[in-house]
Amino acid sequence: MKRRRRTEILINGSQMLAETLAKTITEHYDVRVIQEPENGLVMMKVRETSKKNLFYPGEVLVTECKVQINGAIGIGIVTGDQPDLACNLAVIDAAYEANFPETKEWSQLLEQEEQNIMKAKAAENQSILKTKVNFETMDVS
Amino acid sequence: MGYVAVKGGTLAIEESIKRLKFERVKQGRTIEVEKIHAGMRGLIDQVMSESSIYDEPLAALAIKQAEGNPEEAVFLLRAYRSTVPRKHYSRVIESSDMRVERRISASFKDIPGGQILGATTDYTHRLLDFQLMMETDESVQEWLHEYLNEDAQVDEQASQLTLPNVLDYLRKEGLIPPCENNDQVPDDVTRESLEFPSTRSQRLQILTRGQTGAVTSLAYAVIRGYGALHPTVGELRVGKLPVTIDHPTSEGNDEDAYYIGEVQVTEAEMLMPISVEKEYGKKEMEFEIGYGLCFGQNETKAIAMGILDNCLEHPNNEFPSHNEEFVLYHIDSVESTGFISHLKMPHYVTFQSKLDSVRKTKKEERQEVNS
Repeated sequence: MKRRRRTEILINGSQMLAETLAKTITEHYDVRVIQEPENGLVMMKVRETSKKNLFYPGEVLVTECKVQINGAIGIGIVTGDQPDLACNLAVIDAAYEANFPETKEWSQLLEQEEQNIMKAKAAENQSILKTKVNFETMDVS
Repeated sequence: MGYVAVKGGTLAIEESIKRLKFERVKQGRTIEVEKIHAGMRGLIDQVMSESSIYDEPLAALAIKQAEGNPEEAVFLLRAYRSTVPRKHYSRVIESSDMRVERRISASFKDIPGGQILGATTDYTHRLLDFQLMMETDESVQEWLHEYLNEDAQVDEQASQLTLPNVLDYLRKEGLIPPCENNDQVPDDVTRESLEFPSTRSQRLQILTRGQTGAVTSLAYAVIRGYGALHPTVGELRVGKLPVTIDHPTSEGNDEDAYYIGEVQVTEAEMLMPISVEKEYGKKEMEFEIGYGLCFGQNETKAIAMGILDNCLEHPNNEFPSHNEEFVLYHIDSVESTGFISHLKMPHYVTFQSKLDSVRKTKKEERQEVNS
């Protein structure tokens, strides 16, 4: 599974999943922490829709962690102050970079979690869509 | 008259700071940061937007420390921001990827995707709800349980709520001119001081971090006649934008990027009808666009930003609202409140110098009268 998709699942899904997956790696491999989880900022780059130029609306606080496993470097980065999640994300990222056999078994778990996220989003959207206006044209006689 | 170094006041300052804490806690109760986070959404959004740093718990902490004073909370967050390293720039964020929570248009009744009211005070009676005096955690949890379980069946097709921008729709219809993406790297006013004439990216950055009241007041002045615009809200949307960053060694590869989370923003596309002279003096109506986007749900500010954006695109010496130096130099919360409040700091030397001048003038006047 590609990084964009799996990081979205791991961040928006249950943090237990990231913890469980990272644990399967930390229990069997030597994990060297290159950078302890620390706070930083990510400057957002947004395209405005008037002239389609880019501008910076501001920064978002993140927590970032870097680890190395068997020579492969993993980066974990997430918005907010979330050191445990950043660390688990870094371990999982390094596992994918090193192409560990464990990662082959994770796809099903990640897809399952993706389904849970979609279901929760669908419920939220369904609630939001109840506020959609149903216009009725009035008769003027 | 030279400068006179003075000292003293250390003890007074220490006691003053204690007194400040006393005022915050004198009722013997404290408000938890979690409770501010849970219940002060509007203030948190305003503070994050004016501080130009997005983190709700940090904004809640700043609000607690500032005793709910937004200008002080913004000052605290800006100061904190300057101590944290900037680690990355996001990949380009397109607002068409927004997970919409609210989306309306005052210009078009039938916009693709419909008018979604979401959460808004627009249709509430502005009457104080005295029942909130009795509200408890238990009562809100009970309400939440009921609200979240209203629908037994969830339509899983509804998991995507992204909508096309009204402007793109108008461009397809040929009602406004087409526009290509411009990927020029934006300027950053937090890294390089503003110089005039400013660039569009600088203007948008300063407007989005402007003080909500200042931005709103100047835009209001534009509509009242101190400007040359007649705006309508083409589209106003509130929702969450996904933020991603590139992998250090595979820049530009979307699938290999890191998703890092979501940020709630308000976006306003303002339409300004203008009359354009075509061939043979024929006049045609066209639309210009003003753009506003800010952190959180800050609808008045986003709309006001859209109005001022368009004003500054068209400099006009008749109106200060069309003068970029006037607008951009005076809307920043920390700069304006900082300068005004510095007036209460000791100015003994400068004021004594002015007093000396007045005394000297009076003395000279008396001598002239007596001679």
